[in-house]
Amino acid sequence: MKYLSKRAASMDSVGTDCRELKRTYDECFNKWFSEKFLKGVTEDPCTALFKVYQDCVKKAIREKNLNLEEIETDVLGTEREKQPPPTT
Amino acid sequence: MRIWNSEHTFNHSWDTVVTAAWRKYPNPHNPSVLGLDVLDRRVDSEGKLKSHRLLSTSWGFPSWVRKMIGMQDMCYASELSTVDPENKTFTLRTRNVTLSNIVTVDEHVTYCQHPTDPNKTLLKQEATVTVSGLPLCNKLEQMMTDAMTNNASKGRQAMEFVIDKLTKEARELSAEAQKCMDTVLPHANTL
Repeated sequence: MKYLSKRAASMDSVGTDCRELKRTYDECFNKWFSEKFLKGVTEDPCTALFKVYQDCVKKAIREKNLNLEEIETDVLGTEREKQPPPTT
Repeated sequence: MRIWNSEHTFNHSWDTVVTAAWRKYPNPHNPSVLGLDVLDRRVDSEGKLKSHRLLSTSWGFPSWVRKMIGMQDMCYASELSTVDPENKTFTLRTRNVTLSNIVTVDEHVTYCQHPTDPNKTLLKQEATVTVSGLPLCNKLEQMMTDAMTNNASKGRQAMEFVIDKLTKEARELSAEAQKCMDTVLPHANTL
């Protein structure tokens, strides 16, 4: 299913400078997800766009000194992904 | 600790619902979700799509709660999800990061193809809410689970809103394509 490429309303990013990078990446991902991934094509053509966007987000998180120690950005594929949340 | 759960059926295929889920925000029913970022994403060795996202929300607590726990304006939550296209399941686990030493909300959501009707999708949601170290723990937990029931209904409205929007976009595209064909084809036949 193809969609009109109108500029839809987009979400904010944690880094205001990253918003446009996020919008471009999201458009690429949404198109690939519905037209390719769900039909069995697992190769992701958006990785280069994602890398630039991801670097921007990581930088924004650092610059804002966000106390997000539980949000380590490398959780996927590690044992932490499967851990339950900490209880206090 | 309080447990909350809810089930719902969408009269749309799993493919449609999951596509809409990635485009859920922004929408008029969930104005408190202010920001959304993908921290990591990859397709694993089994062909499943794994994503890790950061949500920025205003949470919408009443001001007396905010004053009592010294809450800042922006709250953050971490969401881990898996899309399994072969088994047609989409599972998400979201938990708050901000104030996790005082209140923990751990939510599990699953979208799966209806077991008897492939044109429908089942949504199951379950959350546990624990408030500790504060007076009125039980009252706060009750308030939060009440808010979840309200938000779950808004979330479903949001999904229907997005699915409807995507369907309209597709119809507009078909109409435009048809107009083009009607204009071009009569001339093509005379070439």
